[in-house]
Amino acid sequence: MKYAYFLSCINESMTKEVDLSLTRWVKDLGIELVNLEKGTCCGGSNLDYVSPDHFLVINGRNIALAEKMGLDLVTSCSTCLMTLRRAKQALDSSPEKRELVNGHLAGEGLRYNGTSDVKHLLWVLTEDYGLNRLAAKVTAPLWGVRFAPFYGCHILRPSSLLGRDNPTAPSSLDRLVEALGGSLVEYGSKNKCCGFHTLLVAEQQSLSMTGNALEDAVRAGADYIVTPCPLCHTALDAYQDKALDGRGVSRNIPVLHLSQMVGLALGYSKEELGIDRHMIAA
Amino acid sequence: MERKEVAFRIYRYNPQVDRQPFYDNFKIAVERGITILRALNYIKEHLEPRLTFRAFCQAGICGSCAVRINGVSKLACTTQVWDELTGSGDDPILVEPLNNLPVIRDLVVDIDPVMEKLKQNYSWVRPAIAEGEMGQKEHCVSDGEFEAINAATDCILCGSCYSECSMTEVNPRYISPPVLLKAFRMNNDTRDTLGCERLGQVSGDNGLWDCAHCYKCAEHCVKHIPIVDGIHRLREEMFERHMTRSEGARHAQAFFDDIRSTGRLREATLPLRTLGVVKTLRMVPLAAKMGMKGRTPPFVVKPVPGIDRVRGIYRRLEANRAAKQGGE
Repeated sequence: MKYAYFLSCINESMTKEVDLSLTRWVKDLGIELVNLEKGTCCGGSNLDYVSPDHFLVINGRNIALAEKMGLDLVTSCSTCLMTLRRAKQALDSSPEKRELVNGHLAGEGLRYNGTSDVKHLLWVLTEDYGLNRLAAKVTAPLWGVRFAPFYGCHILRPSSLLGRDNPTAPSSLDRLVEALGGSLVEYGSKNKCCGFHTLLVAEQQSLSMTGNALEDAVRAGADYIVTPCPLCHTALDAYQDKALDGRGVSRNIPVLHLSQMVGLALGYSKEELGIDRHMIAA
Repeated sequence: MERKEVAFRIYRYNPQVDRQPFYDNFKIAVERGITILRALNYIKEHLEPRLTFRAFCQAGICGSCAVRINGVSKLACTTQVWDELTGSGDDPILVEPLNNLPVIRDLVVDIDPVMEKLKQNYSWVRPAIAEGEMGQKEHCVSDGEFEAINAATDCILCGSCYSECSMTEVNPRYISPPVLLKAFRMNNDTRDTLGCERLGQVSGDNGLWDCAHCYKCAEHCVKHIPIVDGIHRLREEMFERHMTRSEGARHAQAFFDDIRSTGRLREATLPLRTLGVVKTLRMVPLAAKMGMKGRTPPFVVKPVPGIDRVRGIYRRLEANRAAKQGGE
C-alpha cells in the first residue's frame, strides 16, 4: 500500500510529533508514504477568501503532484483534508475550472485529471488497511485505557464533501480505539468544534468551545482524548490550561494524536512517539 | 401497516412555575410513516394537554416546528419517527427545544434574538429604484442573476442553523448563520444597493470573521442551503471591495502571502500579522511555555522545492486579474 503524503504546515512546525510517530509504525503495517515534497500549504480554508482562483490552482497543483506519482493523497490534518477535497470537488465538477488550473500547471509538466483520491490517515486505517488486520498487529493492547474520541469538524462536515462518518454519530475513530484494545467513554462533544480556527480573532469564545469539550471529556471519566486533527490537538493540548481556567475541573486531560495512539498499541514508547512534547503530560 | 410502541422523552420547562427543566416520558403506539409532529400532537391531545410546542403548516414550509430531535435541530413536521429510532428501536426519542435561544415554555423558544440581529444587519433589499418611483417601475432579475442566490432564498428562518452554531453557543452576541446568509443573499441580489454598507455592518465585532467554519449550520439546514458557501462568498467580497483591515482579513491574507513566499505557512509570525503587536505580546507567556516543549514554530521557513513554480503561478494569476480589472 503506497500513498503520497501531504505535509501539513502545522505538522512541520508545532505538532512535529504527528509525522514523527507516524514514521515509526507505518512500515510495520507495510504502508509506504511518499512525502509530497513539492506540495504547498493548502491555504487552511483561508486562501479562497483572498482569491478563489489561487485556491483552485494551488490545491489543484497539490493533487496533480500526487496524480503524477500515480498515488492517492493522504493527510493527517482534517482541515487540509477538507480544503483539498473542496478543491477536488470543484475541479471534478467543472471542466472550465479544470481548464483554468491545467493552464497554470502545464509549464511544470503537471495536469489535474481527478484520478487521485484525497484521504485522511484515519480512513486509510479503517477502510484501506482494515481494522481486523490492524488488530492482529497490536503488540501492546490499550486494555483498560479509556479514550474520549474527539473527531472535530473537518473530517465530518460538510458530509457532502467528506461522506465517511455520520456527522451526528461518527464511529470510525471509536472503532479504531476498540481495534487497538482501548475502551470508549461516551460524551456529547465528540463531534463538536474545538475552536481552533478562531483562536486568534475570537480567543475567549474559542477557548469556551475548547473548554466545553475538555470538561465534557474529563467529566465522562476519560484517561485520554484522542483526535485525528493536529489543529484540534493544539487547541485541546496547548491551550488546555487557559481553556479550563476558572471552570473548577478536577484535573487536566492528556490529548493524543491518532498516530500516537496507534504507535502505543504497536509497542512504541511515549518518547518514541513524541508524547513527551505535549503541553499536558501524558 | 407496521406499528410499534415508541417511547418519547420530552423536555419540559415552564419558567413561571418550574425551578428547573425536567423531562417527561411518554410511550405511544405509532405507525410507520408518522412524523414527530404528529406524535407530539397525539401526546398533547391524549396524554398531556399542557405540553407546549409551535407548529403551523405541517409541510416544511413555515419553519415554526423546529426542535432538537435526538440532539439535532430539525423540523418536527418533516422528521419521521421511524428514522429516529435508535438502539434496538426501544430507546426513547429525545425531543428538546432549539439550542442557543431562551425557552419560553417546553419546546417553544423565543426567536426575538434572531429577529433583532436581522434588523441590525440590513437583512432586506434596498432597491436602486427611487422611493417616488416605487410601484411604477420594474426592476427585473434574470434567471441567471437569480441563480446565484436561489438556494439562499429557500431559507424559512426556522432557527435550526442558529441552534446548531458553535460560535453562537459560546457568544450570544455573534451575528449567527441565518443573518450572514441573509447578508449574502441581499448583497448578491442585483436590485440591491447596500452592498458595502451591509458588508461593513456584518463584518464588525462578533461578526463575519468570527465564524469558526465548523459547518454545523450547513450540515443541519433543513432546506440544505450551503450556508457556509454564502459566508465564504461574503469574505471574498470583503477582499474584492478592499475591506481588508480587520483581523480576520489580515489572517487570510497571511496564508495567501506565505504560499507565495515559501509555500508553507509561517506560523511564528501569524499572530503578529493577524493581531498586531499589542495583542501578540499577550501570547508571549504561552509561546514561551510551548518553546520549552519544542513546539514553537520556526521563524525562518525554508521554501518548498519548486517554489519558483508556485511564484510563477501567482504572477500569472495576478496578471490575469489585473488584465480583467483593466478590461472592466
